[in-house]
Amino acid sequence: MELPIIFLMMVFSYALVADRRVPNAINNFRWQSFFLFLLTLLLGFKEKELALILVAGLLFGLKVVAIPYFLQRTHKELKASDDLGYFLDPQLSMVLLLVLSYLSWTFVHSLFPACDRLQLVMLTSSFIMAISGMILMVLRMTALAQIIGLLVMENGLFLLASSLSGGMPFFVETAVFFDVFVSVIISGVFVYRIKKYFTHIDVNKLSRLRG
Amino acid sequence: MLILFILAVPMLLALFSVTLGQKLSTVAKMNSLGHLTLFLTALWLMLDVGLSGKVIQLFNFFYLDALSVFFIFVISLVALAASLYSITYIEDNVKTGEISPKKAAYYYLLFNFFCFSMLLVPSVSNLGMVWAAVEMTTLISAFLVGFYNTKQSVEAAWKYIIICSAGIIIALFGTVLLSYAYFLGTGAKSLNWPELLSAGAVLDKNILKIALLFILVGYGTKAGLAPMHTWLPDAHSQAVTPGSALLSGVLLKTSIYVLLRCSMISGASLGPQYFQHLLLMFGLISLVVSCVFILVQSDLKRLLAYSSIEHIGIICIGFGLATPLAVFGALLHILNHAATKALMFFGAGDVVRKFGKHNMHAIRGVIKTMPFTGSMLLIGLFALTGLPPFSIFISEFLIIFAAIAKGSFWTAGLVLGLVVIIFSAMLSHFSKMLFGKAVKDAEIAHEPLTGKLAFLFLLIPICLLGLYLPGFLNGTISSAVKVITGA
Repeated sequence: MELPIIFLMMVFSYALVADRRVPNAINNFRWQSFFLFLLTLLLGFKEKELALILVAGLLFGLKVVAIPYFLQRTHKELKASDDLGYFLDPQLSMVLLLVLSYLSWTFVHSLFPACDRLQLVMLTSSFIMAISGMILMVLRMTALAQIIGLLVMENGLFLLASSLSGGMPFFVETAVFFDVFVSVIISGVFVYRIKKYFTHIDVNKLSRLRG
Repeated sequence: MLILFILAVPMLLALFSVTLGQKLSTVAKMNSLGHLTLFLTALWLMLDVGLSGKVIQLFNFFYLDALSVFFIFVISLVALAASLYSITYIEDNVKTGEISPKKAAYYYLLFNFFCFSMLLVPSVSNLGMVWAAVEMTTLISAFLVGFYNTKQSVEAAWKYIIICSAGIIIALFGTVLLSYAYFLGTGAKSLNWPELLSAGAVLDKNILKIALLFILVGYGTKAGLAPMHTWLPDAHSQAVTPGSALLSGVLLKTSIYVLLRCSMISGASLGPQYFQHLLLMFGLISLVVSCVFILVQSDLKRLLAYSSIEHIGIICIGFGLATPLAVFGALLHILNHAATKALMFFGAGDVVRKFGKHNMHAIRGVIKTMPFTGSMLLIGLFALTGLPPFSIFISEFLIIFAAIAKGSFWTAGLVLGLVVIIFSAMLSHFSKMLFGKAVKDAEIAHEPLTGKLAFLFLLIPICLLGLYLPGFLNGTISSAVKVITGA
């Protein structure tokens, strides 16, 4: 049951780096988070851990509902271009992610020899998700892509924590969620400010401070 | 219970700033008074915990030993100085219409939340909570960086949030792996570093090595280690001046604190070679990179920001050498740099306000037009560049001497050479600015007493610690050295 969910999560990781438009990227992030929620819920029921089920609830509320809604609204209100803007073409980004996916698999295999197959797949997926987040942050130009990239990286991190020893302690998990939520809101505030003072949200053109 | 008191003070002050928002001068004075209380409490903790080397634990969540108490002391010292400086600085900002009284109250709210988050880092033992606290420092201080809402400050705040948040996520990757290494060794789950430390011998070594790499890159980004330092000059130069002092003086060190805790775990499991060598390498890279940028810098506040990278490099070199003497020097350097850099940022902030520009080539005759600030900058410059008899000279000397004693002649030579180059560059930049010919008929500034207090307060450790190390400080640092080296 877990493998198909992980597979779907991976599909959305690849879709994210292939996206050309901001609304698509937000939607793909929403779907990736949804499958992460499903996986966490499943693991929670399987291991009969109430904390994991609660964490899944938090995940759903924040990353499937609240944050994507906030990002879509910000995008609409800013009336910014739909174009993600890229330093590296989506196709080439996909090739890059595929190469790095293979390397992640090799890396995970050599680092975690004691893990079972499902764990290895989960671990590799978590690294791939984090890398796809990094690609969004580094190789896309709009400020919103950087926020989505951070969130995708965080999804990868969450998967890593779930695949190894059933996640972090509940209060830490809650603190991390709270931090992520606040960081998205604060980044949102600064995106508005960038739009106000620069009339665009293209981070490539933020080059007043150098040297 | 003292630990709860220390954390409650900034929260109460934040509450005051909201409720008494309109009475700015009351808020400012209350703020300084509150931070004075905090400083005295930290001093008391040094005498109590630091000297005896005992450990205070509360709810298996809060944890204080000599090392954490030392960091709390450094934070409270700079916070008190910044709160004193803020009285006149923020009042001036309101008078000139740069900010509204409401925004001034908002500043005090941010200031105290920021202090709270920094104080939380050395107070808790769970690495997950430490992570959350470090991330909190970024999120709150981003508003201090973007405080003036100019194009430059918004750009700096954006880079700061994005780069540090990405770095800190990498650090959390490392933390999760660290917890897994513990799980493999013991079969139990924990993120409490005292437990991780005591299980050092059974931690899975391969996972631990990767975890520590992630942690070093993650927290190293926040500590401003090169080559992950790119956000630092922007953020530190654009922040509101007392914020710059806190960012450069202590925020960087809170990340160094986390790295130190992890280096202790590394030492217990992998021996002193692995993490310490990495620290040494990053320290040297930071020193070289900062040296290059200091040579060509023309922006006053950016110059000071690069100087922070230099000093963080020196501190990491001290910890990387890992002998008790070097660690002692590095800890002392943390305190000395915090005080000196805060003083320099206060001076730079006053100069920038008076002349209305950051470019040092366009500022001349500071000593003549601003006699007090100019003199303070001159003393601060001598101290910052490591001239005797100021405090930084002693700590740098200890680190270089420790390198020689350990037989790391290349490290000692490189540090010495780079410090000398940086000394000449800084002297050249500042001498023109301080002693150059002032503009004709320039109005001579007279700083009010509250403005001077912050400088004079910082001058005490800067001048005193070069000549004499008080017993309580010596004792606390010695206990902290024992905590780090396990000797």
